[in-house]
Formats: sequence, C-alpha cells, structure tokens
Amino acid sequence: MNILQVLGGIVVNGVERLGRGTMFLYEVVAGSWVLVPRLYLIVQQVFAVGVLTLLIILVSGLFVGMVLGLQGYNTLAKFGSAQSLGLLVALSLVRELGPVVTALLFAGRAGSALTAEIGLMKATEQLAGMEMMAVNPVVRVIAPRFLAGVIAMPLLAAMFSAIGVMGGQMVGVGLMGVDSGAFWSQMQAGVDFQEDILNGVIKSVVFGIVVTGIAVFEGYDAVPTSEGVSRATNRTVVYSSLAVLALDFIMTALMLRGI
Amino acid sequence: MTDSAVPSAGPLVEIRDVTFRYGTRTILSDLSLGIERGKVTAIMGGSGCGKTTLLNLIGGRIKPNRGQVIVDGLNVPDLSKKDLFTLRRRMALLFQTGALFTDLSVFENVAFPIREHTKLPEPLLRHVVLMKLNTVGLRGARDLMPSELSGGMARRVALARAIVMEPMMIMYDEPFTGLDPISKGVIAKQIRELNDALGITSIVVSHDVVETCLISDYAYLMGDGRIIGQGTPAEVQQSKSEYVRQFMDGKAEGPVPYTYPARDYLDDLFDGGAR
Repeated sequence: MNILQVLGGIVVNGVERLGRGTMFLYEVVAGSWVLVPRLYLIVQQVFAVGVLTLLIILVSGLFVGMVLGLQGYNTLAKFGSAQSLGLLVALSLVRELGPVVTALLFAGRAGSALTAEIGLMKATEQLAGMEMMAVNPVVRVIAPRFLAGVIAMPLLAAMFSAIGVMGGQMVGVGLMGVDSGAFWSQMQAGVDFQEDILNGVIKSVVFGIVVTGIAVFEGYDAVPTSEGVSRATNRTVVYSSLAVLALDFIMTALMLRGI
Repeated sequence: MTDSAVPSAGPLVEIRDVTFRYGTRTILSDLSLGIERGKVTAIMGGSGCGKTTLLNLIGGRIKPNRGQVIVDGLNVPDLSKKDLFTLRRRMALLFQTGALFTDLSVFENVAFPIREHTKLPEPLLRHVVLMKLNTVGLRGARDLMPSELSGGMARRVALARAIVMEPMMIMYDEPFTGLDPISKGVIAKQIRELNDALGITSIVVSHDVVETCLISDYAYLMGDGRIIGQGTPAEVQQSKSEYVRQFMDGKAEGPVPYTYPARDYLDDLFDGGAR
C-alpha cells in the first residue's frame, strides 16, 4: 500500500509539474510580443547563452568530426569505399550528432547556468522585487532567455556540424589519404537539403525549445534556497538530456517514415 | 501627532477582517487595521507573527482566504493582473535584502523602473536617477555593482529605486535588520524625511522597537496573527497589556511562549530508541 502511495505521489507530482511547466511556457511565449521593440534584451541573452557556449561547441565539434573521420575510414576501407567518407561524416553530423550533441552540451553549459541564475534571482527576491515594481518577470527575465536559447541552438548546431566536417576532412584527407575531390563531391551529391539539413535544423529548434524551456522553468520553479537551486540545476541537466535523447528517437522515426 | 489634519479621503490602506492560511496554519485571523495617509505607520511584532504576510497582501502578491484589503479605494484581491500592476506603479515595497539586480550597476538599478515604464530621454533620466541617488547620499556610488556595496548602502540604493517613480506609499519590510547603529540611524532618518518631503504614506514593518518608535506616528503591535496593541508610539510603550509588555521589554517569559511545544522532558531524554 505504502509503495503504491509513493508511486502514485510521484506520478501525480510529475504530471502536475508538467502541466505547470506547459502553462508557464505558454505565458512566456504569449508575453514575448512585448519584446519586439526591445530586441536588445534578446540580443544580450543570445550573447550569454550562445556566444559564450561557442568555445565548447567548436572544440567538441572538431573532435567529434575527427573521430568520425578515423572510425569511418577504418570501416569504409574494409569495403573499399573509403571515398564515401565525406558523405558518412556529413550525414552523421547533420542528421544526428550535430543537433543531439549540441543540445547535450548546451544543457550542461547554458541550461544549468540559466536555471542557477533564475533560481538565485528568485532566492534573493529580485523576481519578487520586479513584480512589485509592476514589471512582469516572466516577460522581462524569462522570455528573452527562452527566445535566446531557441535562436542560439540551431546556430550552434550548424557550427558544430560545419567544424565537424572540417575535422573529418582533416583526418580523412590529410591523415588517411582519402581523395579530396571524392570527399567533397560525394558529400555534395549525397546530402539532401530538405531531408538531411532541414530535418537537422528542425531537430535542433525542437531541442532549443525543450532544453531552454526546461532550464527556465526549473529556475523559476526552484525552491528559493541554496539546496533548492542546486537541485533545480541538477534536474535541468538530467531532464533535458533525457528529453533530448528520447525526442531524437521519436523525431528520427517520424522523419525516416516520411522519406 | 495622529490628530493632525488627514485628507478627507480616509485611510489609504484598510484591512478588513482578513484571514490568511498557509496550508493548515493560520497566519492572520480576522485582522483589521487602517493606515492613514501621509503618516508613518509602524507594524511591530515578533518574527513569524505575519507582518511580512500583511505587506504581501497589501502588495497583492498573495490573496487572503477571507476579508478585504483596500488600497486607495480598490480591493486588491479582486483586481485583474493589469489593474494590480497599475496600482503597483503607485506603491513601492522595500525588501529586507534590498533585492537589487545583481547584474546591473547602482545607476541602472535605480533607472530600471523608469526604463520599464516610461520613454524618458536619456539626459532627463540621468537627472532623475542622480537626484534620487543624491537623496540617499550615494550619487558618488553610481558606477558600483551591488556586490561592492555594504548592507546599509544596498538598502539605501533600494530606497532610491523605490522612490524613483514617486509612489504614493512605500512599505518597508524590516528596514533595520542586520545594520550597524549608524546605518540604522541613517535609514530611519531617511524614512521619516522622505515621508514628509514627498508627502507619501509609509508602512514600516519591524521588530526593532527603538528605531521604529522614534520615526512613526502610529504603531500597531501584532502577535498570533492579530492586533494586540495600537496607538501612538508613546501609548504603546506605556501599555499595560501582558503581550505588549513582553514584546516591548524583550522578556522571554510571557504570553508568547519561548519553548516550542514538545513532550515531557524526562520521557524524551530517557526514551532510548526514538529520536
């Protein structure tokens, strides 16, 4: 009986938070139009969540691309099709690794920072103070951060993929001796704009909404104590990573069926 | 002091039979009080007696379970979000911590409400902000960040920010807590001076008896979610009520219990296994 109660409690609590989170996101999106004449608020946040995340994204992208180049060459060479390395590297990056790894890194770097910042603003009564000054914190604080995350994610994913392809080329062409012309022309011929690139962009936009949405909600909903903020930050990274991986599977399934 | 002329419009804030519960705990029960216009009204009471809850009710941050909270003729719990925000532009709440925005400089903190609510040209905005900072003696600190301020300075910056939109009323939540005697004196003086110079209404919630009595025109004493004493500070200080005496004299023994309810002491000590 007790176990049932605990289980039921967890489920009810989870569903309740999901509902609250969705309503919160609705409020954020509905309030965003106020920001139209104040675009600089969004630009500031794009800098904070996007530009400052760039280094980790570029370095990771380069290494992921180099590893893909090595592994791909070894496998493809067994079947005598090492010339297709460019295609393999580009497709893996644009379709899967670019959006997914970027989203995971973004959750760890920018998502956790967003949650901690908003949670601490709540703990130090800055959000309450804003409300008492007749300024809605959901519009002034949350909405610019949410929109910035949604804008930054696809851009970061694109840069991750681009530098990954360079990494693959460095290893494949530079180190393993794959023909440069074959590397690029196979890529050009095999990567479809609509089915590969656009689907990758759609994925990263969805990841942007989900990861940033979780991060701002967890921060806003945090228990306003040191422990509460630390737990919220923790939850942001765990929930958004799980959500990204699960959604990636669902979206991939939908997109492949559509082909 | 309380007998001096009061505008015909009656009290600015009226709390009528308000009950507020948090979960199963009753914080305020059938509380009624009035705040006169243009006066400094003190609300004193021990920690956890519901003073801050009262300010939150007046500011519309929470709704009472029963009763009316009337501010300038409007019943706050009934207001739509839009009307509440319009009303809030005319009132200010000074938080215990100051609640300054840590990512903005002193200047930008004070400028924040103006930037949010008006389209004041930059030179004019600079004038207004510097004038308000000068009022609290911190014009020279305009470029500092909140992390570089002492507790007293942070609270004065918050005060400058609170008056920048020229509100009709300022609520102070424990303005003296954690300050050294000099800063306490400075804040107390400024609360009184601002009240008189700007013709605003001030509500000071505090458990700091000496400072609060010095600057207030009228005082309410709260305990157990009710008003247990009221009058001019002099009247309250001379009250014979047991509750009032315990609070004003800072006695451990009295109607407000010092010990949290617990089971029998001996039983508790020698009952091996239980915690």
